[in-house]
This record gives sequence, C-alpha cells and structure tokens, in this order.
Amino acid sequence: MKRRCFIQATAGAGLAVKANLRAGLQNLYAFGQTANLSHVEARYYKKLPDREIECLLCPRKCKLGDKERGYCGVRQNDGGIYYTLVYGKACTMNVDPIEKKPFFHVLPQTQALSIATAGCNVNCKFCQNWEISQVRPEQVKHFDLPPQAVAEAALEYRCQTIAYTYTEPVVYFEYMVDTSIEAHKKGIRNVVVTGGHINPEPLEALIQVVDAIKVDLKAFNQDFYTDYVRGELQPVLDAIRLIARNKRWLEIVYLVIPTLNDDPGQARNMARWILKEVGPDIPLHFTQFHPQYLIKNLPPTPISTLEKLRQTALQEGLHYVYLGNVPGHEGENTYCPGCKKIVIQRSGYEIEKIELKGGACKFCQTRIPGIWS
Amino acid sequence: MMAAVKVVRVRGRGVLRAEGDIDPVIIRRMHERGIQLLTGQSSAAAGLASLFRPSDRVGIKVNTIAGRRLSTPPEVSLPLSKLLTQTGLLEKNIVIWDRTNDELKEAGYKLQAGSGLRIFGTDAMGAGYTQEPLIHLNIGSLLSTIQADFVTASVSLAVLKDHGLAGITAGMKNYFGAIHNPNKYHDSNCNPYVAELFDLPEIKAKHRLTILDALVVQYHRGPSYNARWAERFESLIFSLDPVAADFIGWQIIERLRKAKGLPSLSEEKREPLYIRTASRLGLGRAAVNDIQLIEEDV
Repeated sequence: MKRRCFIQATAGAGLAVKANLRAGLQNLYAFGQTANLSHVEARYYKKLPDREIECLLCPRKCKLGDKERGYCGVRQNDGGIYYTLVYGKACTMNVDPIEKKPFFHVLPQTQALSIATAGCNVNCKFCQNWEISQVRPEQVKHFDLPPQAVAEAALEYRCQTIAYTYTEPVVYFEYMVDTSIEAHKKGIRNVVVTGGHINPEPLEALIQVVDAIKVDLKAFNQDFYTDYVRGELQPVLDAIRLIARNKRWLEIVYLVIPTLNDDPGQARNMARWILKEVGPDIPLHFTQFHPQYLIKNLPPTPISTLEKLRQTALQEGLHYVYLGNVPGHEGENTYCPGCKKIVIQRSGYEIEKIELKGGACKFCQTRIPGIWS
Repeated sequence: MMAAVKVVRVRGRGVLRAEGDIDPVIIRRMHERGIQLLTGQSSAAAGLASLFRPSDRVGIKVNTIAGRRLSTPPEVSLPLSKLLTQTGLLEKNIVIWDRTNDELKEAGYKLQAGSGLRIFGTDAMGAGYTQEPLIHLNIGSLLSTIQADFVTASVSLAVLKDHGLAGITAGMKNYFGAIHNPNKYHDSNCNPYVAELFDLPEIKAKHRLTILDALVVQYHRGPSYNARWAERFESLIFSLDPVAADFIGWQIIERLRKAKGLPSLSEEKREPLYIRTASRLGLGRAAVNDIQLIEEDV
C-alpha cells in the first residue's frame, strides 16, 4: 500500500483506531495466510542460560523462556534472542494537530504525523486506545512502514513533527529511535507520548533523538497504579526527573477519573512534587475521562472537578496548568505568568490567537518556555 | 463427605516409537481406556456419549505454542475426534483449534475448513474475537469466537509441562490461548488469572473434559522444548474435574523434578498457586485426599 492510500485509509485517528479493531480482529487472515511481523533484534535485553532472556527496556523486566512474549505482547524470545515484532509495522498513521497529543508548548498550530504499532507495557483499565494498545501485533492490521518512509510521509504531509503516540511507544523503541534519526535528517522534530514506564538507560538514548516528551502520569499513588494500571509509579517519576534533567521539553498529562484519582489532596501532592523536582514551568494537563475499555460504569469527569484540580495546582505555584477534553474552556489557554494575559488562546485543537514574540509574552516580555519555532 | 473425584492416568508403553513418532494403535487404546475408566462406561463411545450430546458442537482446544516437539500433536487429537464421531456427533461439529493458524501448522496440523472436521486458529478468516472484552473478576479480555460462539462443549487437550512463569501449564491454563491478551496475565505466577479466566461462564459452563498430553513431560525450563529436561512419560491423564487434573499434573512434575535433583517449584518461587485459587473458587479439587487417582498401563 502506498503512503497516500495508507494515510487516507487511516485518516481520523480515533475512527481509524476503532475501525482497525472492528475490521482487523475479526477477519485478519485468509485461510492459511500468516501474519507479517518483523524479526529485528531488540536493543535492551540480557541473555540468560538455557535460551532464557531478561528484557531491560522497561521496569517490568520480563524474564522469558524460549518462544515467550513479554507483557507488552510485541517482543518475543526466539531461541534465546529477543526480537521486536513491530519494527516498521505501523498499525495506524494520521495527521493530527499537535494540540491533540496534547502538546501546548510545542509548535502550536502545526500538524504532527502520528504513528503507532500495536502493544503496551501496562494495562490501564481506562485505556482509550485499547483496541490497538492491548492487542498483539498479529491481531490488528498493520502496514510495512520503515523509518525512512515515515519521515518522507511527514514531509509529504507538511508535518513539522512526528508523534509516537496512541499506544505505548516504549514497546516499539527501536522503530521510534530509528525513525527519529531519519526525521532529524530531514529537519522534522520528534515528540513522544508515553506512560513513562521505561528504564533509565533506554530513556537516555531516546532523549538524545527526540525533541519533546509527554508523560501520562496516571495517578500520584501506587495503589492506583497497582489496581488500574498494572504498573509502578516510581519508575514514571524517575523518568519525568530524567527527562527534565536532560533539558528535553516535557509536558505532563493527568487523566482525571471520578472517584478513582480525583482527590484534590493527591493533586496537591503531585503539584508539589512537580514544582520541587522539575520546576514551575512544566505544563500540567488535567484531562476529562470518558468511560472506556474496562471502566464503563463511571461517568465522564465533571468539569467542576477538573477546575478544582487546576486551581489546586495553580495555587501550589505551577505556571501552566491546563484542562483537556473540555473545548472552549478558559483552562485551555496559556496565560503569561508575568502579566496574566492570554498569550495563546485555544478552543479544542484550534488556535484562536497567539500573542508571543520570540518565545516571550508580547505584552510584558516574560519568557514562555517551550519550542516555538 | 463428598466423594473423591477421579483422575485417570493411562500409560501406553511403547506409544513413543524410537524415532519419536506416536504409535497410532497404542494412542487410540490409551484414549479408549482412559475414557472408559473415567466415565465407568463399557466403551469409550458410551463414555463420551455420557458427556456430549449428538447436537453439541465440540471444541478440542489444543496447545500448539511450542512447535512440533512440545505441542498437542495431531496424532493425539485426531483419534479423540474420531471417537467423538462414534457418539453420533457430526464431524463438521467438531473443531480442533488454537490461537493461530501458524502455530497449528508448526505443530503438524493441516488446516481444514470444509464440511468435515474443522481445524483452524482464532486468527482464521471467519473466526476472530468477541467485539467487546468480557470482564470477570481480574480478567478483561476478548474471547475467541470459537469458544464464545461456535462451540457448545469443550475439551481442553493440553500439554503438561513446566512453565517459567506459571509453574506448570496444563488444562486450565490452556484457555489462555482462547483470549487475545494472555501476556497481560503472567504476573504473580499467573495467579489468580488462570483460575479466574476458567471461571468465565463462556469457558466454565462449556468445559466437559480435561485430557493432559503427558507423552513427553518437560519438567524444567518449559514451556518450550528442552531435551535435557524432557521425560518420555508415555501417559495421558483424564479428568472431568479441571482442577484435579492440573493438581495431579503438578504432582507429576514435582516428582520428576525431585527425581532429577531439581528444586521444587515452591523453592523456585513459582508454585502454581492458581490451582489452589481455582479450588477456592469452587472449580474443582486440589488436594490428594479429594482425588482418586486411577493408573493403568495399556
């Protein structure tokens, strides 16, 4: 399939993701046909005796016998060598506004060529893209799209960035890194949307080749991570610290789920931690939950809850606290921390006004951190 | 006091020929005798007729993840399907299945989708998974439509073997191959996930019979084949109680490990506690005193 056909076939991210499952999981292969997966050796693992391996990519550190797959479902031990099955095997590709990721301080009003492969290294019960993240690569339609082709597609569709998103890009680490290198050669930037479950060594390698990382901080307590994410909080906090220490642009998103992680006390603790560990200038987005996947018995987050959490974080001293999935709300705008005027006015993914000059507030010249050009 | 549940171990001396292939006469006799002893009926056909109605659509869930050398081979599953047809079941209403066509082929199966016996994976055209995840206790998974929609009765015809994560894999864990995301249930030695998945109504209510293929038992470094720790055990194990079958399988693996000087699964911190969890969920028995083990050679 040519790139143009592919992108047309998968246009409209959410719809494409859902269509993939509906069509894909049901009728994947003609009788006797087999899946076309990659067999590229993984970069972070340790060989053990008797053809066993230990994956060193994420904190889960799966220890696997021959023929077994990691928790992510996209890496397999074959005869004592660990392979990624999704290198160059995108299952979706779309052109999205960068605000949709969301990145609010990265090249506003530009498009991001957004790609994903199947797989994830956690299992959030509220996953919004579970139909591609919580499946094995052979269970969804995928396309041969090597790194160079992704970079060329970004140029063709006039995208200033490539976003590794929708599922968990850590699980397609090698593909993401090589694509990022190709993209940089063509002057295209790379942004990553991740849950932050990655070990320090691969994260440091990733930081070298990407321009911005958005981390989904799912909650600020381990119990929530145990019960609803099946992951660990501490490695995510460590990843956030490492990204900030390396001066890579960072934004944090917190999906607020009614009754599960909407306690203002927790939000206050989180805001204090962010302030102390990474400073006041890291954008924090509180986004609205909608019933999905394994949590369908809770209502969407009330806007009043989101507003309360935003106020809490602002009171703690964070400069850029946003609301997400609430189009037209004042919490979508960027306010200058100096003069308090709106410097970027948004409505959903639309930019209505930008009052920045050279990365600073047009009114009072306060520097607004981010990647603006 | 409740009567003990039966687990039958039939040993077929010489069933594995020197070249490693399976003697078709002996394996058929092993199936027949095992079902007779298990059901107390005068013949295997009568025994199976006590478990399945002629109108049933029977799924034989095999385990083919480990290639030709350590999967449920066609030489074991096809004789069972033949016996099932002797009860009046139509061949077209029997399906031998697993997760993928590829794995079935690698295990030696020839895919079939015509008017007779069916052999295919969940990824075959026309099969697939349920549209929405089935949510039960800690399980949230799409289930193969073969199990969810096609079959009315199922047999778990699993390979008994050591499993690096679960401790052992046997009849209940075989149903991990019926869901789209088994990799999400490997934490905590697969406990409670194996038990809770089996407790899913679409599995529990349809499951009629467990048969463990213990012709070659990988008692260490499973679930893939490793000749150094593979024992020619020449046995099939039958039970109507899915937990008891797995419990006996566990004991066999522990005995083999002990005989070879290996630490117990408990000492290796991978005791298959999901078997105890299954018992607590009321899915069957997991104690020596609750199980009547019948052993016979053919």
